[in-house]
Amino acid sequence: MAELRFLIVDDFSTMRRIVRNLLKESGYTEAEEAEDGVAALQKLRNGRFDFVVSDINMPNMNGFELLTQIKQDEKLKHLPVLMVTAEARKEDIVAAAQGGAAGYIVKPFTKATLEEKVAHILKKLGL
Amino acid sequence: MQTRDTSPQPAFPASADQDATPDVHHKIGLLTRQLHDSLSELGYVDKLRGSVDELPDAQSRLSYIARLTGEAAEKVLSRVELAKTQHDFIAAETRRVGDLLVKDPVAAVATGQIFNFVADVDRASKEIDSHLTEIMMAQDFHDLTGQVIARVVNLAATIEEQLVTLLIQTAPTPAPAAVQARQGLQGPVVDPVAGDDVVTDQSQVDDLLASLGF
Repeated sequence: MAELRFLIVDDFSTMRRIVRNLLKESGYTEAEEAEDGVAALQKLRNGRFDFVVSDINMPNMNGFELLTQIKQDEKLKHLPVLMVTAEARKEDIVAAAQGGAAGYIVKPFTKATLEEKVAHILKKLGL
Repeated sequence: MQTRDTSPQPAFPASADQDATPDVHHKIGLLTRQLHDSLSELGYVDKLRGSVDELPDAQSRLSYIARLTGEAAEKVLSRVELAKTQHDFIAAETRRVGDLLVKDPVAAVATGQIFNFVADVDRASKEIDSHLTEIMMAQDFHDLTGQVIARVVNLAATIEEQLVTLLIQTAPTPAPAAVQARQGLQGPVVDPVAGDDVVTDQSQVDDLLASLGF
């Protein structure tokens, strides 16, 4: 578990730090950050990651576009993508699910929710 | 925007220079007509109305920011007070047990004082850690309010741009209009009594995903 590498994608540094700290508290110490979809894709293609936690509403490339890019990339499509976002419209949740997101968390969220979703996704993937 | 009487009205009190008055009235009349026609032809009446219709939403969003920042401040202060209480307890117990150890180390251990102290510190540390986590989580208001502030700023910029464009278009020398496109994403739910198309908590997200087979 400790070796899993997370990529946290959010345009707000505060939220990236919160997610990073929560993951650390849950035992996931390996994490990098990206401020938007473009930076995230670059990191994903140049590094090894096991899990993506992504916001949706971001400049340059939003979370939906990032999800699409990941799922269309042969080398990245296996990556679980957990959306952590303030977007609370049902159509957004459905779109994320249909686009291949592994989970969806609405902000504001709790430590327990993030822990539970990450654990659930990892369990489903056998990681 | 309400329809107004566009007939020329006296703009200045009658002056000695009565010959200039008809010309001023004529010009004001022309400008008024031009403004009215331009608003209609360019569709800015609807656009401006659309922006004005968003103002109550902007008010709601600003109220949301005030509420969220207020709640975050209260939460942080409460948790800091609780953490400080625990910290004070640890500090006081450390001093007390330290004195006991100096006086009679054997008795301090034999009477269970050391064991109790270790257990107390462990419990208090866990509670402090929990408070620190909550303080960290309270900072999520920055992300949520930041998104909302960006939308309000965008609305203000849109209104400003439309008004400036309108002024340019209705001036004697027209200039091309540039109206900023709206964004598709909605951001945080600022109204607790949300409509049917949005979820208001994580359990609703989970239910929706479960209904989709996730």
